[in-house]
Amino acid sequence: MPADELPPRFHLLTRLHDALEREGSVSREAVAGVAASLRIPLAEAWEAATSYPMFRFELGKPSETRCGGLSCALNGAAPSRDPSAGCRFRCFDAPVDGAEEPFPEERICLAGPLLADDVGDWKGLVTAQRQGTDAALDVIEAAGLRGRGGAYFPVATKWRGAIAQRRPIALVVNAEEGEPGVFKDRALLQRRPRRFIEGLAIAAAVLRPTVIVVFVNGEAAPMREALTGALRVSRALLPVEPLVVSGGGGYVLGEETTLLNALEGRKPVPRLRPPFPVESGLFGMPTVVNNVETIAQLSVVFRGEAGSFRSLGTQDAPGTKLFSLSGRVKRPGLYEMQLGSPLRELVEHAGGAIDGPVAAVLAGGPSGGFLPEAELDRLLLPGMMHATGAVAGSGGMVVLDSSSDLHAAVLAMAAFNADESCGKCTPCREGLPRLLSALQGSEMGIGTDDLLEVVGLGSLCGLGQMAPGPIRSARHFWPELFA
Amino acid sequence: MTLLVNRTVIAAVGSVLDTLLAAGIDLPHLCKDDNLAAIGACRTCLVEADGRIVAACATPASSVKAVETETERARKVRRGVLHLTLSMQTDTAPTERGGPLAGTVAETAVRAGVTDTPFNRVSGRAEDPSNPFFSFHEAACILCGRCVSACQSLQHISAIGLAGRGRGTVVSPGAGDAFRDSVCTSCGSCVAACPTTALRPKSGGAA
Repeated sequence: MPADELPPRFHLLTRLHDALEREGSVSREAVAGVAASLRIPLAEAWEAATSYPMFRFELGKPSETRCGGLSCALNGAAPSRDPSAGCRFRCFDAPVDGAEEPFPEERICLAGPLLADDVGDWKGLVTAQRQGTDAALDVIEAAGLRGRGGAYFPVATKWRGAIAQRRPIALVVNAEEGEPGVFKDRALLQRRPRRFIEGLAIAAAVLRPTVIVVFVNGEAAPMREALTGALRVSRALLPVEPLVVSGGGGYVLGEETTLLNALEGRKPVPRLRPPFPVESGLFGMPTVVNNVETIAQLSVVFRGEAGSFRSLGTQDAPGTKLFSLSGRVKRPGLYEMQLGSPLRELVEHAGGAIDGPVAAVLAGGPSGGFLPEAELDRLLLPGMMHATGAVAGSGGMVVLDSSSDLHAAVLAMAAFNADESCGKCTPCREGLPRLLSALQGSEMGIGTDDLLEVVGLGSLCGLGQMAPGPIRSARHFWPELFA
Repeated sequence: MTLLVNRTVIAAVGSVLDTLLAAGIDLPHLCKDDNLAAIGACRTCLVEADGRIVAACATPASSVKAVETETERARKVRRGVLHLTLSMQTDTAPTERGGPLAGTVAETAVRAGVTDTPFNRVSGRAEDPSNPFFSFHEAACILCGRCVSACQSLQHISAIGLAGRGRGTVVSPGAGDAFRDSVCTSCGSCVAACPTTALRPKSGGAA
């Protein structure tokens, strides 16, 4: 479906980006102009536009380009004065300064079937096309492919859910990758674009979507460039031309219903479920939202001999997963590991910590938790790696060593989550800033553990539900730091 | 269709919240308006359903088997959320000065046995007296979203939205304008939906 057949609201983000490009910031007048031209009520355009950190109303471009991420802080970067400076997603080069840069090939430290040389032909696609929808779905189900964005939902189940609606389907690829410490989707799209394109063509052949949208992180210019370049040369493989949309920043966009609201030109906050996106997603269409890595894994599934995907990983979680390793580790970069590998193996592949033994690993970033050295034998699998917070998640792993200030790292995660709360629900919006103050020594009148439970159980979406992890895990393993 | 609620079988209607309220079971629900779709923002109607904490307003009664409203965990989390909610209000004007539902938050808290909050109270300070028929007081606002939902989804005026993000979120007419300068038609739906004194009618249209 061409973009002009979608409701005009679809263009809100793109038009706001145009204004940002033109003027360096987004003004009230610019929003009013865009709202009028797209026939969106001004208050609705305004509530959407002001929810994106990138548009920086009246502030202009960020005054500093220094990275505000954890890996940079651990590697000696002075603390950023401007939290909205955010991560530059070059955690493997920490500390970094300046805009995003192309992902270097030499930072692919361990390659498996997914990261092995880029594909030369389209034989996986040919196989899927020959099989047709039903047989191809059986292949995906038999392979046991799960989503690689962090939730590990079975792909075949999600796709069947959308197909069962018997209405035109939207396929949305989530390339937002807004989690500090994660750079796998950037690496995939820049270094193995044909792997992704084959996966996308397979998804399109099976789902026969009416519309395909790829949602890209607004600051990830090299990723967007690689993507549009790859799409140009592979246009003939796809039944419809994919629409590429850049976001305006915000970790919560990794949550799929928030991303759908963003694409509809609405305020980027989570929707209630049900209805699930496969029932009613983008503009009410049955919608499949998959992560870039999930799409790329389809190429591996369909190119291998039957059962070869399953020969790696575990029975319940087959295949490989990309891990972004950074922090105080000798060889930071991208590692393709079998699901079910011990975390220790990943750290050892990277040569271990820089100063002394590993002090801790933050597994799963701001939505995960800290693990001490003694817990490194835990396995990289879907679900919780430790009840206090650690997860494999989308594969972001940050190593701390004897030079690292763990308390400061916990504070950084608490500050990040408080800053990234979209503000829709009370426990997350009101609870996270208070947890941060409590860590900084403020009296609270309620126990920290109690507030962690209220935020974790009471919040609307995964961001709030998982936000207690870094704090809870650190308090569990290093109580002396919080006495 | 039935639902097991606190180990008693009752008729299931609509959402878990609808089912509980129809059966006369008291449960806080600050952002669920009788006239509007569930928003799911206030998180005060949390119950334990099949062992998980869920918002009753956003959970279809048909999607769960057993609901417990009074487990220790559910009570504790609901109480914590109410404490956080109350901490957003530094302006506790008498509810008579608000709209028809202005007493909702205060009465809900009392019924839940929550008289004060252990948290420091922090709230926004924006005030907007510009509309001839009502005024807005951010210091009483709990960001439940009912006024915005009424304006956007019930009246289809969309004079107001929830601008900004996180704790910086604020009910905002137009593009950060005053009510007077927005497309507000003074229909009063936002005032009628407000569960606090954040939106206050002006008596006789006077300031």
